[in-house]
Amino acid sequence: MSVFAQGLRIQGRVIGALMMRELLTRFGRHNIGFLWIMVEPLLFAVLVGIVWNFMWGATKHGLGVMSFVVSGYIPLVLFRQSVNRAAGLFQANGGLMYHRQIKVLDFVLVRFLIELIGCMIAYLFIATLLMGLGLFPVPYDLGFILLGFLYFAFFVLAMCCILAPLSETSEVVEKFLPVVTYLTIPFSGAFTLAEWLTPAARNATLIFPPVHAMEMMRYGIYGHAITPHFDYVYPLIVNAALLSIGLLLCRRVRGMLVVE
Amino acid sequence: MITCKNIRKTYPLGRRDKQALRGIDFHIGKGERVGFLGRNGAGKSTLIRLIGGVELPTAGRIERRMSVSWPLAFSGGFQGSLTGYDNARFIARIYGREYREIRDFVEDFAELGHYMKMPVKTYSSGMKARLAFGLSLAIDFDCYLIDEVIAVGDHRFQEKCKRELFEKRADRALILASHSAGLVREYCERAMVLSDGFGVMHDQIDAALEAYDRL
Repeated sequence: MSVFAQGLRIQGRVIGALMMRELLTRFGRHNIGFLWIMVEPLLFAVLVGIVWNFMWGATKHGLGVMSFVVSGYIPLVLFRQSVNRAAGLFQANGGLMYHRQIKVLDFVLVRFLIELIGCMIAYLFIATLLMGLGLFPVPYDLGFILLGFLYFAFFVLAMCCILAPLSETSEVVEKFLPVVTYLTIPFSGAFTLAEWLTPAARNATLIFPPVHAMEMMRYGIYGHAITPHFDYVYPLIVNAALLSIGLLLCRRVRGMLVVE
Repeated sequence: MITCKNIRKTYPLGRRDKQALRGIDFHIGKGERVGFLGRNGAGKSTLIRLIGGVELPTAGRIERRMSVSWPLAFSGGFQGSLTGYDNARFIARIYGREYREIRDFVEDFAELGHYMKMPVKTYSSGMKARLAFGLSLAIDFDCYLIDEVIAVGDHRFQEKCKRELFEKRADRALILASHSAGLVREYCERAMVLSDGFGVMHDQIDAALEAYDRL
């Protein structure tokens, strides 16, 4: 077997074991166990949806407020939870560096994957439920929703790779992270559509890759009821650049990591 | 075999850096039993952690041409909030071994009884040592890295370790870091005396102990 294939197999094994361990330490074996991963985004989305329903009425720009909030909020929860859980990740898992086959990237990947799976299940569950109640449109094109979700997830992963090592070396980053994740909401495209903005504001928000992803998802849901603004290549390039920076930072922090 | 070439390790300590290791060279062949002798803070544990890959050296190269255990020490290697069984299952998974075999061996070796169902953070240091030894012996490495921890075990545990490590696995290499001359004499064939981040390897254990006495 080639060295690469063998390495891949070992990393697969390690990631599987780490995921089991993470689920166990985070949710325990009691009551609903790791179904909790989908309860968090679910509660967030539904409660905020209900509040906004009262604030703005049932529709906004002709789109159902409930479906608009849910489709914006769940990816946002993915971003916020993943990034917050990436902070202080290496210190918390330092004891595991005793096993050489476990790499620092595994930690980042595992926490991200758990959030990703949780959010996807939550999304599926809540969208089906709301569709039954007539509050969520039958998607125009599932492929675009999935594509947008993948673009969004790619961005989240890249940010995790950057912020996890930064939070280790800089206390400022660690302390301000929760605040910053809130401040990013306007730049996420979660609660606005690019078409509602002035051209200048639209161009400004489209600098941020998650806005493209959000537009793709919204197009997948509402179809021609909206005019989406997104590019396929630009967010890929930005995300890949961010990921490269993140990988470099992870590599650098590994050498400095002091394990108890 | 394990080869270390010009290993240096620096820790940031305020404005200045603390040089824990300042250029260590040695070579350990298959089945060799080597001691690291030194006072507290001499760099024994740091060196063991570097060999085990827990931390990375600031400069220098470490080549491992045999399977090397994780450092068996007072902490590390386990998740405190998980039970002994959960940790065993995790270790079995990441090393790609059959959980049942590992579990049976550890139950028999560590004699922790119902403590295996308790979180590892509730263990005494002797119990942790028993679990760590049990697991690493079950995985079966070519070289065992032992950081002091063997000293915390009671007589019965030490006898067991000796039987498993010396009789059943006489061909395995071993690195034992300790400040106790007695332990090193008992377990090792040669020893490196560490002081102030430098290390001198003595091929005769008596010469090593003499040098250690003179420190």
